[in-house]
Amino acid sequence: MTLTSLTVLDGWLERRLAGRAQAFFADAVAECAAGPTSGRFGEILALASRHVRPTEALAPSDGERDEASAALSGWEPERWTLLETLRARLAIGLAEAGGEPADATLEEAFRYADEGETAALMRSAAHLPRAERFRWRVGEGCRSNMRTVFEAAACDTPYLERYFDDESFRQAALKALFVGAPLWRIRGLDQHLDATLARMALDYIEERRSAGRHVPHEVWLCLGPHGGDRGIQSLAAELRAETRHSIPGAPEHHGARARAAAGLALLRTGASEHFQTYLASEADSRVRRVWNDQSGAFPAQGVFRALELSAFSNL
Amino acid sequence: MRFFDPHVHMTSRTTDDYEAMAKAGIRAIIEPAFWLGQPRTALGTFLDYFSSLLGWERFRASQFGIEHFCAIGLNSKEANNEGLAREVLEMLPRFALKQGVVAVGEIGYDEITKAEEHAYEVQLVFAREHNMPVMVHSPHRDKKRGIQRSIEVAKNIGLDMGMLVIDHNNEETVEDVLDAGAWAAFTIYPHTKMGSERMCTLLERYGPTRLIVDSSADWGVSDPLSVPKTAKLMLERGFDAKAVELVTWQNALDAYAQSGQIDVEKLLRTPVIDQSQLFADNSVLRGQPPRIDASVPN
Repeated sequence: MTLTSLTVLDGWLERRLAGRAQAFFADAVAECAAGPTSGRFGEILALASRHVRPTEALAPSDGERDEASAALSGWEPERWTLLETLRARLAIGLAEAGGEPADATLEEAFRYADEGETAALMRSAAHLPRAERFRWRVGEGCRSNMRTVFEAAACDTPYLERYFDDESFRQAALKALFVGAPLWRIRGLDQHLDATLARMALDYIEERRSAGRHVPHEVWLCLGPHGGDRGIQSLAAELRAETRHSIPGAPEHHGARARAAAGLALLRTGASEHFQTYLASEADSRVRRVWNDQSGAFPAQGVFRALELSAFSNL
Repeated sequence: MRFFDPHVHMTSRTTDDYEAMAKAGIRAIIEPAFWLGQPRTALGTFLDYFSSLLGWERFRASQFGIEHFCAIGLNSKEANNEGLAREVLEMLPRFALKQGVVAVGEIGYDEITKAEEHAYEVQLVFAREHNMPVMVHSPHRDKKRGIQRSIEVAKNIGLDMGMLVIDHNNEETVEDVLDAGAWAAFTIYPHTKMGSERMCTLLERYGPTRLIVDSSADWGVSDPLSVPKTAKLMLERGFDAKAVELVTWQNALDAYAQSGQIDVEKLLRTPVIDQSQLFADNSVLRGQPPRIDASVPN
């Protein structure tokens, strides 16, 4: 049987919901398939929060994550909440059953959505039929200052690589750094590396340094092989000793994570000889661990998972 | 100590206020929908206002470790623009049933007009049907009669008096509210309404049962630290910690948790501001002191 987003989501929800929540789910699925008014659909989305705690994680198993990428390549549900899963399921069900009239219902759902509903609708966007119709809405999500909304729109979804042009994609990448969302989770970043993105990142790095602020470690992902000499020099500065001192306002373990990131970025430029020099002199075992795991080839964006605070602290 | 300010208009306040509130121990707040100092002229501005209470403001508060709830309602002043009021009342259910909406409010009377009464009644019926508490704004002019009428109309609609919170009380109105079985809230203002001193005197007389202290801080001269400041004065004047906790935390929690929209367990945990996590339950930092230096992106 081929997996679709809908069958996958149904399976996850059936395994997790019980009692009243399950009854709500079953009724809501039927109502959404029957084409509810936009007012009623909004109500269903809102009422979902009374049956599933907004803070409950979906916590998909490895097998479920495999199901996700089989149903839609580039879909990673590991940071979804259970409530988002429920709401996204209902939105996708509505869209698949309702054809074009359902698009207007979804538009209105976006318009009246609260923070959690907005995030769930953003998560559903890539799964909707004629997903390109929601390009403007996802663009709004990528302009949001609410990290929750931004991440739901931009991260762990194939939406941006499929429907964003280069310029919008670059803006979303930089915006991730501004709102503190994980840049490595924006699918397709490695395919969007170019001289313009590298130049934007280097300008941003210089602004941060001029202001005496820490440089978010993920910005180095944006250089790829396009940073040129300016990129190499900027990376060398990050890898030198001064980043060992803590900068006010920097997140935990920033110095070590920034060095680890800069080292990986150096490999991404192709300067593997430089990299070996730094590897030989690096004292922090966590940084060495991240670096040693690299075979010398181009470390893909996904390698930055190891630099997330929770992962890095446990190295 | 931890505090619950069940009436504060944060859209009008700065991040300095959020920082000071978090430092002073304010853990949760309710932002009731009100007017903006001047009347709105279009439905769309109401839509965006309600939407911001449930969106950006909630997110902004979370950056300081403060749990933000809200009350949705058509306020009494703007109820007098009858055409617009009708449209707003039609739209209300689209917001009032959302996650974290703990009451219908703040509603009630301003000039005690027929139009205000109509909007009040419609919203009381909605609250009764959806089992939601009601936060009532009492008028500045003819306050005593306004409060009596607010209670009477709510009773006639069939609202459980335990679901009714009458706000902006003073020495002259408190007995009517307590006798009716409703909750009596007091707004502590630097210059007008109640001051902390008067509040303490009032508490000495009536005790802490069903009395609630709030700041109603907004775009006017007001103090978002009114609740912790009143708590401090209460302790200095010899109230026991239990009484302080009742009027600055527990009573408001009991009144508004009746909505089913407050996760009390979550409130009792130490807040965590960890920007790498999307929601607090799976944070690795649980139990550590809150970080209130995290910035809100701009």
